[in-house]
Amino acid sequence: MFNESGSSPASGRFGHGEALDTLARSRPEGLKALAESVLEDFGDLRVIANRTGLVMVPMRDTVENVDFHLGEVLVSEAHIADEAGNVGYGMITGRDLERAMAMAVVDLAFSSGRSTAAITTFLETEAAALAERDAERMRGVEATRVEMETF
Amino acid sequence: MAYVATRGGERAIEQAERLFRQDLGQIDLDRVQSIRRSLPYLVDRVMGEASLYDEDIAALALAQTGGELSEAVLVLRAWRTTQPRIAIAEPLLQEQLLTQRRISAAFKDIPGGQILGPTLDYSHRVLATDVLEGRPYDPPAVEAAETPAPARQPSLADWQRVQGLVAPAVDNSVPLDEIPDLTREPLLFPASRAHRLQGLARAETGGVLALGYAAMRGYGNAHPTVNELRLAEAEIVVRHPSGTAFSAGRIRVSQAEVTSKEKGGYLELGFAATFGWNEVKVIAAATLDLNSAEAPVGSAVHEEFYLYHTESVEASGFCIHFKLPHYVTFQSILDAMRDAKAKKAAMSASNVTTAPQEEPAL
Repeated sequence: MFNESGSSPASGRFGHGEALDTLARSRPEGLKALAESVLEDFGDLRVIANRTGLVMVPMRDTVENVDFHLGEVLVSEAHIADEAGNVGYGMITGRDLERAMAMAVVDLAFSSGRSTAAITTFLETEAAALAERDAERMRGVEATRVEMETF
Repeated sequence: MAYVATRGGERAIEQAERLFRQDLGQIDLDRVQSIRRSLPYLVDRVMGEASLYDEDIAALALAQTGGELSEAVLVLRAWRTTQPRIAIAEPLLQEQLLTQRRISAAFKDIPGGQILGPTLDYSHRVLATDVLEGRPYDPPAVEAAETPAPARQPSLADWQRVQGLVAPAVDNSVPLDEIPDLTREPLLFPASRAHRLQGLARAETGGVLALGYAAMRGYGNAHPTVNELRLAEAEIVVRHPSGTAFSAGRIRVSQAEVTSKEKGGYLELGFAATFGWNEVKVIAAATLDLNSAEAPVGSAVHEEFYLYHTESVEASGFCIHFKLPHYVTFQSILDAMRDAKAKKAAMSASNVTTAPQEEPAL
């Protein structure tokens, strides 16, 4: 299920982690619109948290393998639950509480088996768009590769 | 103890701030977004020194302070204290960075190859003055390769370990909540390596460059060669309440390893990393790290010296405090000076009326 840890498929090829990855990086307008549409299926929702805050980011030193703090990243977090106790959670980098809440609503909908088809379609579309954006960037990066020879 | 009273100070202070802000004009979302879009490297620098990653907030700080970097960093550090810490992310690992620039000046045939990425290193530094004549500068598009570069590149240091060039890796990992944190505990010396690297990550770029440059020019004991330099994006991996790990988004990071000479049969390496793309800072900071081991106390490459003197908020705060009234303390200096002058004048006057003393016999 979507709310379980591990890689059990939430829908199709999307495990929970991959679905959350995609939701967190998806385009805000589409995510918010999707959340609006799936929200109609819910009764009362309890908001456990909806706030901005900081995530401390450690990094591993490559010389002595020491973990140190690189700094803090501003994030928006939303944590909700429905009457049955299913949990929805969203966390995104940046200061957009609506986007985090939209992610939490979609997470909750998937975990409780609502609007599965619409959400799957959205995830597939967004995952493809993100992959294409990354590939385009990395094709540009590949163009800067150099080969060196010693004479 | 004496005091100096100021009349009209409250109004003058208010008007002084108004004058500063009036000069900057209206700040709106367009201006903030324009700064974020057009000055990404400046935004990166401010985020790194503020130890707070958010491009919008950093751009706002720059807009609000007119680009006065010390003020922008101060405003961001202050704002950071208003935010709760929600979580600690999984550590960023070099081999998982989405690498867009990666070069080595020490080894030409590094595993994964050398990728220049976005850089002006090899460009002519020509100012596009046509822009001022109304002719916009449109940069030519990249002629992209058919296949994308691999997003992840292997660790050069690990390859060097396999070759026996670098000391074997030691497992120094600790639980996330036990990583030393300068924002919540004092910096004591000798500093832990975690404190040193955190301090360098948020150090002031110009200060790190000045001290690192001093080491490069011979005022340290190790001359650096870039072992590996990376500009990359990193996933911020956090946990869903169910325990599922996921990425909440990406941030830009820089990291550098520099190497110098052999010691104990292995190459010595220095390391540094920071938020944003700021390769001058990480090369200079890694040079300071490299020099730390044998640095004489009191030298510019001794960790106590460089960590204290590159802490931007404390340094700029100490500097600007000298603008505050020091009338009473300075008065004592004036009194001493006048007293000395009076004594000297009295001595001269008495010398005029008495016969000059003979020089003592040698």
